[in-house]
Amino acid sequence: MTNPYQQLHATSPPFANGDYLVPSGGLPPLSARRPSYASIVSGPPSGLGRPARSGPFSHLLNPDDASSGAHDPMASYSQHSGPEDPLDHRAGAPWQSRTGSAFPYFSRAFDLYMSKDALFPGPPLGSDEAPPASTQTTSNITSTGFLAPSYLRGTVFLRRLEEKHRARVFAEQEGAAALAANGSSSLPRPSGLASNGSSASHLPVVGAAKLGPGHRGVGGFDVLERSAPGNSATAGVSAGAGADDDDDDDIITPLPSRWNKDDKEAALEVLGDGYEVRHTGRASSDHEASAIRADHYMPPSCGVYYFEITVLNGRSDKIRTPPIAIGFASKEVSTSRAPGWEPGSWGYHGDDGYSFASQNTGQPYAEVFGVGDTVGCLVNFRAGHALFTKNGKELPIAFKDIPFKDAKRKLYPIVSLKKKEDHITTNFGQRPFLFDIDGYMKKQQDMIDNEIRLADTSRLLPGLSETSLIQELVLQFLQHDGYVETARAFAEELEAEKSALRLDPSEPFKAFNIRDDEDAHNRQRIRRAVLEGDIDLAMELTKAYYPTVLRENEHVYFRLRCRKFIEMIRKEAELNMRLEERRNSAHSAKKQQPAAYDKDEEMLEAEPEPHSHHHRHAATDSVDTPMSMEDDDDEEEEEDGIDTTGLSKLSQEALIYGMELRAEFSNDPRRETAKQLDEISSLIAYPNPLKVKEVAHLLDGSGRVAVAEELNSAILTSLGKSSRAALENLYAQTCVLLEDLRKDGGDGAFVTVESVVKDIPPARLR
Amino acid sequence: MSTALGPLEIPGLDNASTLQEIVWAHIRQRFDRMNSSTSTAIPPHHHGFEKRVADVKAPKSDINALILDYLTMEGYPKAAAKFCKEANLQPQQLDSSIQARQSIMHSIHSGDIETAISALNELDPELLDTNPELHFALLRLQLVELIRQCHGRDPTPAVEFATKNLGPRAAAHREFLPDLEQTMALIIFPHDKLRPELAALLSSDLRRNTAAKVNEAVLVRQNQRREAAIRQLVRMRAWAETSARSDKLDLPETLDFGLHAEGAESRHDGGHEPMITT
Repeated sequence: MTNPYQQLHATSPPFANGDYLVPSGGLPPLSARRPSYASIVSGPPSGLGRPARSGPFSHLLNPDDASSGAHDPMASYSQHSGPEDPLDHRAGAPWQSRTGSAFPYFSRAFDLYMSKDALFPGPPLGSDEAPPASTQTTSNITSTGFLAPSYLRGTVFLRRLEEKHRARVFAEQEGAAALAANGSSSLPRPSGLASNGSSASHLPVVGAAKLGPGHRGVGGFDVLERSAPGNSATAGVSAGAGADDDDDDDIITPLPSRWNKDDKEAALEVLGDGYEVRHTGRASSDHEASAIRADHYMPPSCGVYYFEITVLNGRSDKIRTPPIAIGFASKEVSTSRAPGWEPGSWGYHGDDGYSFASQNTGQPYAEVFGVGDTVGCLVNFRAGHALFTKNGKELPIAFKDIPFKDAKRKLYPIVSLKKKEDHITTNFGQRPFLFDIDGYMKKQQDMIDNEIRLADTSRLLPGLSETSLIQELVLQFLQHDGYVETARAFAEELEAEKSALRLDPSEPFKAFNIRDDEDAHNRQRIRRAVLEGDIDLAMELTKAYYPTVLRENEHVYFRLRCRKFIEMIRKEAELNMRLEERRNSAHSAKKQQPAAYDKDEEMLEAEPEPHSHHHRHAATDSVDTPMSMEDDDDEEEEEDGIDTTGLSKLSQEALIYGMELRAEFSNDPRRETAKQLDEISSLIAYPNPLKVKEVAHLLDGSGRVAVAEELNSAILTSLGKSSRAALENLYAQTCVLLEDLRKDGGDGAFVTVESVVKDIPPARLR
Repeated sequence: MSTALGPLEIPGLDNASTLQEIVWAHIRQRFDRMNSSTSTAIPPHHHGFEKRVADVKAPKSDINALILDYLTMEGYPKAAAKFCKEANLQPQQLDSSIQARQSIMHSIHSGDIETAISALNELDPELLDTNPELHFALLRLQLVELIRQCHGRDPTPAVEFATKNLGPRAAAHREFLPDLEQTMALIIFPHDKLRPELAALLSSDLRRNTAAKVNEAVLVRQNQRREAAIRQLVRMRAWAETSARSDKLDLPETLDFGLHAEGAESRHDGGHEPMITT
């Protein structure tokens, strides 16, 4: 019952009471705040963070138009009065109200408690099997609505997708903040990720019948605390993800995440969050079926794509194997045909167990499937084949040599239903699959890893064995980057090794020739200075040894100046921190300083990048900051009298320096320059930036490394030398090669350079 | 450069000075362009691939981690310590642990297997007992060293060593037998006329490989990874190029990562790979 991904993903209790939902418009999207704050209040994340949205719900009001109401601001309010409706409306089809994503009967979590038979054809409502509140529905969707199927984690594909998502959420939050300021709600956005909503619609049934008001109270509270902030984020994602497939960026096209109500045969309706499809019973001729495609095509660059459907019960005709089919098809294929019957379409049919590969006549493939069965469709882009699974078991390969590579067409998950009351729900990866797709993926990865392990490295540099090549690479890197002493020590150790390996001790051996290089020494001194935070010294040395470098590399010069400013702030902040410690011990009883501070800090943390819209003015008029705490601090300092002169002098200096810096680069047309200036200027706005996690990274020591390396590269370039060591070139080449191999879901989709580095215990700065 | 070209005389155009100027300007321009294209360091390859490679950021923190990992895992304690100092990094393992592995490897590299075995037993008394294959590999190397020593002289010590130490093991583990037989053949055949697979036994690679095996075994026993990550990276690079070429992806003819490219003139020690100090 416990969800392995619980800490990662919000979940949704089944009885979120719509009555308690508040429109989120009034609250700013402080999503970053939620995990800490809400969990204190309401325990572990329980998914109410995904607010009820109008889309999934409005089908109750307008069955034919499942979620168009989402665009209407009022729709979001209407759902609050809605909970009563589903009860009546759905009395005839009891499963509907339960099969919302809030009830993952088909998730493995439930297998422990319920047998499959009890699950599906069982008594629909208020049964003893009503899952406990902690049941999660969409464990693989993050609180901001990012769909991260378990088997794709760690892949470059998913990482890119997530980066894109984050950027979108961020932009959305900025927008939502503006909206909130106007008092308008961020709810009325296109409902995107089908992540919740049904939690509200089915709620009355369970909540009233079984769990009672106590739970509602808890649920309601949680909703109050959590739903509002999440809303804008979720909606934001959807706003982007819901848009039609973008062709612009092949590598990072979104994953299919729900059925597309705009791409279906008329007899079908999409229910819930877009995971469920039901046949309304509208007549269709014998040759036809009613199909629906998912919102996005299966992106080949993810290597393997997988989704599962579960055939739901609740039909009056008692047919066990209704004519339901699952597969994939291109956009051109008619939705009035079952998958597999048309060119560009492939499918597995439940009523006869046949598979159809783009033609009217099928092949006997596997068993039939029907009510209560979970069937998965697995597309392996690397191998160019597809197969299906039934109730977690892998079936044989159904289609070979699918022309993924030459087919420009994009293939979408598709299902078709035929009879009234045919009803399926779908797992697009939002929760754990029945089939062990993670294991399947792992097998693919292991296959590639094995190939890599056996790769022949002798052709990289003919004449050198792998061991010698690596020795050369390391030594060259050490010298190139000016690690003089390391290079010498390494050369000595290599010589000792060579000398030991001689079979004939009299045989002369060639020494590793480490030339004493003044240049390397100079560069090493400069690097040290930067790494120790002594930017003035570094600049002095650079000017002395390489007078043209700073002049000719203005960005490096700028980075150094910025770093100098950061070091000033850092020094002040560290002093401040010590001061505060002392003060706290001295006046611990005097004020509720820590509490007040915590709160303040929390609010800061809540904004993903406060400086970007909040403190832009900070550098110029940094004395009046919006932080009330700073005033307190200042007072305290005055009273305290410890070190404050030194401190205020420091901050004074930093201020002046910062203003000089701004003045000097104010005419720089580059956006990056302005951005960086804004970023570091924001540091002044915080009483103690070291404590504010959104900006603390700016002060981090790793920033020194980056500046040091940039300066070193600039010096090397000025000396006419390659700015990169061979090892770095090799690294970069590998990245690009893998990227190329990743297209169309080739081998590269299963490996990353990062995974190599990730294996190393983290190298920490001292 | 105009002087280099010399005065331009165009007969019949003496008075058409404007025309002359125009022609001159043309020539100068072309010359300038030629000149600049050879003097600036624009790489000759304009393949898109190279540009993409240049655009990839190889994070220094990653590279530094790879280096420290390599120096630590493959047993270069002095370099590892210096690198931590120079790159401001925390050591990945205790210095003593790296040194212990290095000294064992050094013994093996030098052919002093006895010392290696006893140091290994001291470091990890259970290692050889739980890893008969590794033990056999070490003893076999010891036999090879003995054979090398007795070559051309009385082979009795080698034969005695083999019957005492290797025979019983090969009897218990049949899979060791071919290795033992092969090694014994070294006693019989003259060393200058060996089959390649036999000659390989006498090369220093056997020492190196055995030492690497021992190092790996020690690391695994310490719950470390088996080998340095940089090896995976290098193999991944080799594999990726091979795969990309067999997929007929558009790549430059050769992918040079510049190990020998710069400072080739510093190859002044006559023969060995150039060690460039930049």
